[in-house]
Amino acid sequence: MSAVATFSTTPTPSTSSSILDVSNLTVRIDGQTLLSDVSLSIARGTLHAIVGPNGAGKSTLVNAILGQIRFEGRILAHWRRNGRIGYVPQSFAVDRTLPVTVADFLALTRQRRPVCFGVGHDARRRIGAMLVGVGLAGFEQRQLSVLSGGELRRVLLAHALDPLPELLILDEPATGLDQTASQWLEDVLLAARDRDDVTVLMVSHDHERVKRHGDRVTVLDTRVVADGAPADALA
Amino acid sequence: MTPFYAWVTSLAHSGVLPADFQYPFLVRGFLCVLLLTPMLGGLSHLVVARRMAFFSAALGQAALTGVSLGLLIGEPLNSPYAGMFGFCLLATLGMVYVKRRSSLPPDTLIGVFLALSLGLGLVLLVAVTRQFNVHQVEAILFGSLLTVTDSDLLLLLAVGVVVMALLAREYNHLLLDSLSPPLAGVEGSDSRFLDYFFAFLLALSIVVSLKIIGALLVEALVVVPAAASRNVARSARGYLVWSVAVAFVAGAGGLIVSNRFLVPTGAAVVLGASLAFFVTLIASALGRGSLARLMRGRHAAGVAVVLVGAVLLASRMWIGALLVAAGAYFFKFGWPTSSQRPTTND
Repeated sequence: MSAVATFSTTPTPSTSSSILDVSNLTVRIDGQTLLSDVSLSIARGTLHAIVGPNGAGKSTLVNAILGQIRFEGRILAHWRRNGRIGYVPQSFAVDRTLPVTVADFLALTRQRRPVCFGVGHDARRRIGAMLVGVGLAGFEQRQLSVLSGGELRRVLLAHALDPLPELLILDEPATGLDQTASQWLEDVLLAARDRDDVTVLMVSHDHERVKRHGDRVTVLDTRVVADGAPADALA
Repeated sequence: MTPFYAWVTSLAHSGVLPADFQYPFLVRGFLCVLLLTPMLGGLSHLVVARRMAFFSAALGQAALTGVSLGLLIGEPLNSPYAGMFGFCLLATLGMVYVKRRSSLPPDTLIGVFLALSLGLGLVLLVAVTRQFNVHQVEAILFGSLLTVTDSDLLLLLAVGVVVMALLAREYNHLLLDSLSPPLAGVEGSDSRFLDYFFAFLLALSIVVSLKIIGALLVEALVVVPAAASRNVARSARGYLVWSVAVAFVAGAGGLIVSNRFLVPTGAAVVLGASLAFFVTLIASALGRGSLARLMRGRHAAGVAVVLVGAVLLASRMWIGALLVAAGAYFFKFGWPTSSQRPTTND
């Protein structure tokens, strides 16, 4: 097994037009090939969608990019700013009896002090602003376990967007959201791309939405079936 | 330490402290509780969050095997720490390594390790009892205040400080990894390191707690305070505070009960923690206005009533016997109702 996940960490800003280059990526787990010889390039400042049927390897590709599974091939990132990846996972199963509030959760990566000693003043202020940004003002003391699926997804998006990432990865972010929430999510992602120059990589099942707003689409079915502009790739 | 014990004894004689504190061994025990409870309370809520309760039980059994091993290779009966820590560390590394590599469910794998160390421990224990009085070994199984020395206290202090400092350093990573390993990975946490790190801290804490709590019961003190705390805590801070508070009340109460009624310390402490669990369960149900629903659950109601009865009996209040009997009845047959269920005629 050769796993080469190379994320450029040199202080010199990269001049590459792509933020992520995936070359000949193959993932095998328990003898089963989940991804085979996948190559794709994600252009900086775009909304790149990954589509495909169930079991096509979309989440596996995301996990490989995040460095969470072993793979063969090469993934090369070209950072220009902070090199931060924001990530919204497909599922976030919260233990219903675990007493962790929204503020506790968001403070975990925003203060050095252990969260069990309380959330500090600065972190509290920052978290308040983050929650306002995702339409959940006043939710600081709500327990994670009582949030609805849509509210939880907003909290995860707030977490992923602070500090502003260079690459935002979302694994089926609209799952379980109603029409209004889906529209809100779409607005947030487009604003992140257009206003804040965040590159968005999104796994999605919603072909119509991808056609409307995606800059590029990769259709996966264990290997790359099509890759290009949405109108062509999803034709 | 002698002047300190003399000072505490004088306070007990003059009535400033309860009369129990005239005995140095009880003072040592109380100091143990003061040191143990923040450490175990702090660990316990992460043990439950990381679903490692069964892992803790396996470590308790491994400690027993380690004690037997230590005694057989010539360690003193009063401080078989090398054997205990050595075997616990080995078991910890083995369990975490296999858990991370195998596709079998973690509880199945830990069950295998538990059976292995328990079998080995019993075999070694039989060999040990040929050399030592079985009552001396009993102290290790169930915990005893009489065997705690000043050196044990110093070791507990040193380990407690190290464990709490390391835990505080990695707490946020550990909790995020408990909530979502993928998210924690993206934020820079190393899941493998955290698994080994936390298991190591747990093993260390269990080893130093063993003399007072006992090998068979130490797991309970690592799990029950957090379980009780979950019933009432509403935030991560509350979770820690309640876990430590429950561990402290159970520890101090268990010491007093152990001294007055001559029962093993570990058992008394764990009973205290279990009682706290049911009290917080009822308090939580009251808070949610669902006490009636809880009490209709005959098992919970039965156990709660039996426990209250047992406490009264332990205090020589004989009405407790009636409550024990009533609790057993509720457990078996449920809450008596005034109306019959409607029946259908077929």
